[in-house]
Amino acid sequence: MGVDRRTFIKYASLAAAGNAAALRPFGALNALAQGTTPDYKALVCVFLFGGNDANNTLIPFDMAGYGNYATVRGPIAIAQNQLLPLVGSLSPNTFALNPSLPEIAALFGSSNVAMVANVGTLVAPTTKAQYQSGATVPTNLFSHSDQQLEWQNAAKSGATQTGWAGRIADQLGSAYNSTSQVPMITSVAGDTLFCNGSASTPVSVSPGNLGGAQCSEGITECAAQQATAQALLSFDSGLTLVQADNTITSNAYLYAKTLTAAVQSVPSLNTVFPSLNGLAAQLKQIAQIIQVRAALGVNRQIFFCGVGNFDTHSNQLVLQNALLAQMSAAMNAFYAATVEMGVQNNVTSFTMSDFSRTFQPNSNTGTDHAWGSHHIVMGGAVKGGQMYGTFPTLHLGGPDDSGTNGRWVPSTGSVQYAATLASWFGVNAAQMPLVFPNIGSFTKPNLGFV
Amino acid sequence: MTGGMDLRNLCGRFRLNGWAIGLGLLGGGLGLTGCGSSTAGAVVNTQPQVTVNGAGQVRLGSTAQLSATVTNEPTTSVTWQVNGVAGGSAALGTISASGVYTPPAALPATNPVTITAISVSAPSVSGTATEAVWNPLPTVTAAVIPQDYGATSGILTVTGTGFVAGAQLQVGGASVLTTMTSPTTLQATNPVVASGVTPVVVDVVNPDPGSATSPITNAQVQASLHSTARLLDQATFGPTLTDIQHVETVGLPAYLNEQFAVPTTLEADITTPPPTLCTNNTIPCQQAEWWQVALTGQDQLRQRVALAMSEMFVISTNMVNARAVTAYQNMLANDAFANFSTTIKDVTLSTGMGAYLNMLNSAKPGVVNGVPQIANENYARELMQLFTIGLYMLNQDGTLQLDPSGNPIPTYTEAQVQAFARAYTGWTYATATGGVPTSFPNNTPNYDAPMAAVESQHDLIAKTLLNGTTLSAGQTSGQDLAGALANLFSHQNVGPFVCKQLIQHMVTSNPSSAYVSRVAAVFADDGTAQHVRGNMQAVVQAMLLDVEARAGDSNPSFNGGHLREPLLYMAGVMRGLGYTFVGAGAGTGAEYYYTPSNSISPLGQRPYASGSVFNFFAPEYVIPGTTTNAPEFGIENTATAVLRLSLADNLVYNRVQYFNVDLSATSALGMMASATGNATTDSTNLVNALSNLFMHGQMPTQLSAPIIAHVATILNNPAERVRVATYLVITSSFYKVEH
Repeated sequence: MGVDRRTFIKYASLAAAGNAAALRPFGALNALAQGTTPDYKALVCVFLFGGNDANNTLIPFDMAGYGNYATVRGPIAIAQNQLLPLVGSLSPNTFALNPSLPEIAALFGSSNVAMVANVGTLVAPTTKAQYQSGATVPTNLFSHSDQQLEWQNAAKSGATQTGWAGRIADQLGSAYNSTSQVPMITSVAGDTLFCNGSASTPVSVSPGNLGGAQCSEGITECAAQQATAQALLSFDSGLTLVQADNTITSNAYLYAKTLTAAVQSVPSLNTVFPSLNGLAAQLKQIAQIIQVRAALGVNRQIFFCGVGNFDTHSNQLVLQNALLAQMSAAMNAFYAATVEMGVQNNVTSFTMSDFSRTFQPNSNTGTDHAWGSHHIVMGGAVKGGQMYGTFPTLHLGGPDDSGTNGRWVPSTGSVQYAATLASWFGVNAAQMPLVFPNIGSFTKPNLGFV
Repeated sequence: MTGGMDLRNLCGRFRLNGWAIGLGLLGGGLGLTGCGSSTAGAVVNTQPQVTVNGAGQVRLGSTAQLSATVTNEPTTSVTWQVNGVAGGSAALGTISASGVYTPPAALPATNPVTITAISVSAPSVSGTATEAVWNPLPTVTAAVIPQDYGATSGILTVTGTGFVAGAQLQVGGASVLTTMTSPTTLQATNPVVASGVTPVVVDVVNPDPGSATSPITNAQVQASLHSTARLLDQATFGPTLTDIQHVETVGLPAYLNEQFAVPTTLEADITTPPPTLCTNNTIPCQQAEWWQVALTGQDQLRQRVALAMSEMFVISTNMVNARAVTAYQNMLANDAFANFSTTIKDVTLSTGMGAYLNMLNSAKPGVVNGVPQIANENYARELMQLFTIGLYMLNQDGTLQLDPSGNPIPTYTEAQVQAFARAYTGWTYATATGGVPTSFPNNTPNYDAPMAAVESQHDLIAKTLLNGTTLSAGQTSGQDLAGALANLFSHQNVGPFVCKQLIQHMVTSNPSSAYVSRVAAVFADDGTAQHVRGNMQAVVQAMLLDVEARAGDSNPSFNGGHLREPLLYMAGVMRGLGYTFVGAGAGTGAEYYYTPSNSISPLGQRPYASGSVFNFFAPEYVIPGTTTNAPEFGIENTATAVLRLSLADNLVYNRVQYFNVDLSATSALGMMASATGNATTDSTNLVNALSNLFMHGQMPTQLSAPIIAHVATILNNPAERVRVATYLVITSSFYKVEH
């Protein structure tokens, strides 16, 4: 990557230098920036785009379980002596993590991480027999785009145009963030359905580029130029897309001004985030925003970040291990940052992903699209060191296999997983069906992991 | 005062009358009777006398030679006055020592003027003549009627010389309401009907004094700026003045035909070893080739279609070797106007796609080392879901078919994905000579040849495909591939599925179902005697010349268009402003063309660098908080909107590494920004020029007025005027959304 990476980074730093100069007019320090908020909670979604193979993430470690795993997985099985056995509150030597997850394993051991087994998109609790006899399940089960949307909206239908975080913001925004200058939801990984509500839209932040636009004219002309540029946004041309872009750009000016003013008043966190790690850069940006929560006037925040390339149809061991290593180090640094800020009990992070992958490998030492998956929940409030849900029977064509290739029928609905997090965040019983219209179909709306 | 003077005056009147009734012949006759001759009288006069002779009238823009005859004086030299002013003046016209009268710029307040010649040796003796100043003879150098595409009339614009206030355009000999733009430009106030077949005969009549008519000219019907610049915005990587003028001349359909015939600008294979820049990473060299072609290639339409296809049939340097990507790009460009069945076969067998979606080295299901394995489903699934038919059954107009319960109807099942996956087994890299390798998988890449099949690795079991089609057991890899692709190509979804996305990439995010239907109909049958299905040249032509694509030509508020993705924004501004590649200095080459990728990378896009096969943005993306489908908005948010402002700042500040643009005071725009010294006039001309370049000459007053007012406040700095005006234009949502 040598030259390419260097030149790209070099140019990015030029832009960053410009930002600082351009924003001097808005540079008023905010004395509240380092204050504390009495009742603060944040949810942080880490989306593993492409469908993380849960079967090589959380692995049976007992003799029989591992033996079965190794036999079926063949060329993509991980040697047992490389696995990281989980301790925590589990029976010894029952489950282990992928060797690329040492930090997650340690946080499991200190009860700050919980695993939730075989979670997937469901309309209602569904057995293998029900599935095979045509029970209603989410549409296009094995399609990336559809299942990403299903996980993010946690509604009855993938066609819903709001995400569950967005609907939480719709419900809780006025109660918790009435004086806020920025939306409840921040995405550092672009726009996703997860963040969109009926009445609320997120602020998007490019990691490391929190400030406003660079301007190279003199200070006076820059201010004048920006004033005119902003004034042009108020012209209603009647063109739908022009108007939509006017709205986004107007918000961009507003949020950049607010965020820049807030972060200028605080020292950098001491926590060191891993370098050359895209997810770490995103989580570092999230930490910086949490640091100035008081200045932003927010008591509740939801963050979205993500990392891609989990679609390991070939060469899976190499690709997935590198991605999991990146994720583990990044999440660990983020947890450390919450400890540094004293908010580790106020911030709960969790993974989501399109789907898991076939337990049976394909002919390219890879795996194909599947269904139920295992997920990671992290934070001081998490009742960690435990596994929640029901681990599937890893038999091709067995009681949990929707077919014959090891696509597990989920034993826990993604909506239950989401509702558990939402409940901790402050969504009350009356609001729950408004956020999760389908939650009533499940007998256990709270899985109890946080 | 003298008889001579009377005589001269008399002659002047006669000459004037003579001109008015029949020109030279009668005047010449009068001359023969003795006018201007000092020997006409019978009595010899011995008094000193000055007699002035001249033509008696002169047209603006020309000169008149007067002569003075001094008699009965030792010397014959004179001095000259106009209306009593020695040598004349700017307002009266000037006269030289030798008697050449140059009229003023416009008709003098007192007309005719009096020319006086005074004897040098006898200053009390003088003679006079009057000189009538007439309007100039108008000439026409060009008459054009620019028409929006599909229109039958346009605003006649005549350029020429000698136009004065009150000049009148005549069309077919009849006067039309005329607006004078300048002494060299007249416009008909109302549209003039022109078929383009029957010539429209145009002349110009200047008013009295000296009313005169230009020779007639046939007006040339040409494509309007609105239509040409809009088409170029849709069909190229951005309008340039040169391209605009060319398309104005040849018209839209002829331009498309020219473009269909331009050969592909091919990207060269990245050399082995690569240029020093790319020693450790070949991606910048691949990016450089892409930008060079996009910014400078003559096959603009082909390359623009290839871009759309590269975002429909996505591969990415994130996972695929850059050498395979240049080969893939060449394949898409070559196939841009081919039959869709060719394109989809070439995509399928390309090593770029093979590597990206794992058809490469996908073997038949079987037991390897005791472990049962399945055929790789990746390509089989995405070829259907993303490249050809989509998830749900479609009508020809792109809308969903619904079952009796009102639900969409899936196009395929998981079992069919697995059947197609088995049909595509057995393919790997071809040998260096393009042949079938002896081993499988063959891990020695040959990026320039299609993949080759190793039959022993191909699944021989029968496969049940779509619409009841079955591939028989025992077929070869090639037979199964042909059968599977034919099965997909014949599916009714392909036309609407592909055409709608092509429209979204090139014309509008939200085409009407009628528009999709018209283009999909051409996909189904190109209208030739052969009734070809999948003729993409016919599809591209139908798409770009459709009434809905062209509606914005004449109606700037027609509600359509699409957000310029960062790639197109960057290329469009660079081409419009005239950025040129300067390189990294002696000994370096075109590999340094890669830098525009650095400029837009923070905005979430680089050529062939999508994060997944789902492209940088999804075709079905809906803007949050709305119901508006707008794919490119998938990467437009409050973060990238700010980053695009910074990009615009870099662009107007000539900050694209290894490129140069001149926006200085001495550039064309810079000189325009200071030409008259009047801040408002200069700013208006500058903003109008930018409107022509970037908004098809359709910038609404609500935008231009504030920009002009702002720019006019910048004094004594034409370069800053250019930068700020350009920045305000290209950062406006009205430009960002190409419409």
